Amino acid sequence: MKSIDGLKFAEMIKMGAHHLYQNADYVDSLNVFPVPDGDTGTNMNLSMSSGAKETEENAVAHLGQTAHALSKGLLMGARGNSGVILSQLFRGFGKSIENEATVDGVKFAAALKYGVETAYKAVMKPVEGTILTVAKDAANVGVEKAATTDDIIAVMEAVVEESKASLERTPDLLAVLKEVGVVDSGGQGLVYVYEGFLACLKGEELPERTIVGSMDDLVNAEHHRSVQGFMNTEDIEFGYCTEFMVKFEADKLATNPYDESDFRQGLSQFGDSLLVISDEEVAKVHIHTEEPGDAMNYGQKFGSLIKIKIENMREQHMEIVGENYSTENTAQKPAVKHPYAVVTVAMGSGIANLLRSVGASAVIEGGQTMNPSTEDIVKAIQEVGAERVLILPNNKNIIMAAEQAAEVVGIEAAVVPTKTVPEGLAAILAFNPEAEVTANADAMKEAASFVKTGQVTHAVRDTSIDGVEIKKDDFMGIAGGKIIISTPSLDEAMKALLASLVNEDDEIVTILYGEDVSTEDASTMVDYVENNFSHTEVELYDGKQPLYPYIISVE
Amino acid sequence: MSIEVKNEYGKIDITNDVIAQVVGEAAIECYGIVGMASRHQIRDGLTEILRKESFSRGVIVRNVGDDTHIDMYVIVGYGTKISEVAYQVQSKVKYTLKKIVGMPVKSVNIFVQGVRVTNL
Repeated sequence: MKSIDGLKFAEMIKMGAHHLYQNADYVDSLNVFPVPDGDTGTNMNLSMSSGAKETEENAVAHLGQTAHALSKGLLMGARGNSGVILSQLFRGFGKSIENEATVDGVKFAAALKYGVETAYKAVMKPVEGTILTVAKDAANVGVEKAATTDDIIAVMEAVVEESKASLERTPDLLAVLKEVGVVDSGGQGLVYVYEGFLACLKGEELPERTIVGSMDDLVNAEHHRSVQGFMNTEDIEFGYCTEFMVKFEADKLATNPYDESDFRQGLSQFGDSLLVISDEEVAKVHIHTEEPGDAMNYGQKFGSLIKIKIENMREQHMEIVGENYSTENTAQKPAVKHPYAVVTVAMGSGIANLLRSVGASAVIEGGQTMNPSTEDIVKAIQEVGAERVLILPNNKNIIMAAEQAAEVVGIEAAVVPTKTVPEGLAAILAFNPEAEVTANADAMKEAASFVKTGQVTHAVRDTSIDGVEIKKDDFMGIAGGKIIISTPSLDEAMKALLASLVNEDDEIVTILYGEDVSTEDASTMVDYVENNFSHTEVELYDGKQPLYPYIISVE
Repeated sequence: MSIEVKNEYGKIDITNDVIAQVVGEAAIECYGIVGMASRHQIRDGLTEILRKESFSRGVIVRNVGDDTHIDMYVIVGYGTKISEVAYQVQSKVKYTLKKIVGMPVKSVNIFVQGVRVTNL
């Protein structure tokens, strides 16, 4: 083939995008750089799809115009680092040939190279070992090849071959890739796009899902993700890293027809970190399980087992962390009492009981001014014996310690940054034991945001805050963190606080009275609310908290 | 101003300049960022690209109560999708600070001070 025009180019784009789409999950699995969030494939696929759609709708015989449509679509749909880079590569490509109706191999390769130069211009500190490197190496080889042949297919072949070779070299350039044992995800995505181009030029079909040796990369990335979660060997729940292949047998398939997603579903009961890849002849399985035998028996229903590998991860992990493992170690570990715990902080035994009654698994009772440390929080979580935990500090001075506890506790943990007890109560009520930790944290945070908190406390010295004159021993009314009144009368402080917090949309006023307030006084306060804010329900609790005669929540 | 991290052995103070340096380094590695800019455009000259040693002129670390907020002033490459580049910087900065300093940030605000058009 001597040259391509705009219509041919549009076909190439379509095929490249489709091939990337087919393998997006695999690209996701490789993603460890710049941030290991496993979305490179998804982002690149969305970007490329947007480019392909625009190209398809505007494809004309004039190559320059078609390429312009592509770069527009890519720019509009660019998602993630890899997507932005992809859009720059093709923006440069398109600019270089904007006045060409058709191109030969030389101009095609030159356009690829110009795309790379454009892409490099948009970053101050290019990181090598990424999609940029793969694009650069491939384009350079393309230019060399174009000088020796006038066959554009031969040029594209050289580009694809070099892009694969360059991809294999990425771990030598980027340390984190080597550490994890994967190739760069964005680079892999680009290779898929180029492979699609080549197949289109050759008029070949690409396999719907590729299975080539990718299992190893998937396993590496999967191990990388799971290893980060283990602090202690005894935390490993599924101790055997099990890999096997099932070679399908016709007679078994007759009784047990094979369907990849059903097969995956069936295996998932035995453990986690499950990976399944299959084609017409074999299924490759990787799973972390406590019963490798059961997982393999399941596989045998569909055929015979070949290539079995089982490793004891606890042994390996101990070597890595270098601890002296003993059975006593596990004996001291508390039994799992709350698989999914909510750990929170409170002053006063009444409030602590109230928090427990609405569902807190553990309440750390901070003393008068003693805020619990990171260590205290970690200890509380460990005593609860949880597998997953949400931490509610109920005080803005503890949020930092809670964040750190979540970081080091070694189980799945999230902090709901509640600043007051009422916020904590509202958050706990929104806890859903069925939801994921982060989803829960978000929902609870939102629930907490609907609550208004008021507090009354003693002034310890003469001062002026928020434009309010404050005398020592005054009662200060604090609405949502802002001091609104300071007065010698506790009742007056409360009334001003209620007036500023409660509006006609509010339904419930909850009053927690402290250790210095008598039950009679508190009841009088309830009457006051019922008479003056008759549209609200009032709830009264003996919080027994120090320092704060009253804490009220309005929602 | 500095960030204070307390642990069982005592406390660690990290100055805002250090944070600014770390954040700036992380940002310029991001694709689409061609440099850090000064927040005082008029005083320091229009969209001058800052050198490494003066990153702190383009990164503001604000400590509000216990929360840390970061404002950064950047220059992007022409032709990139700016919203997406900015989002990448936010996510990279958040991740880097957590990894290197163990510090959660409340917000990362990006101010795009300029676009650099190359003659390509």
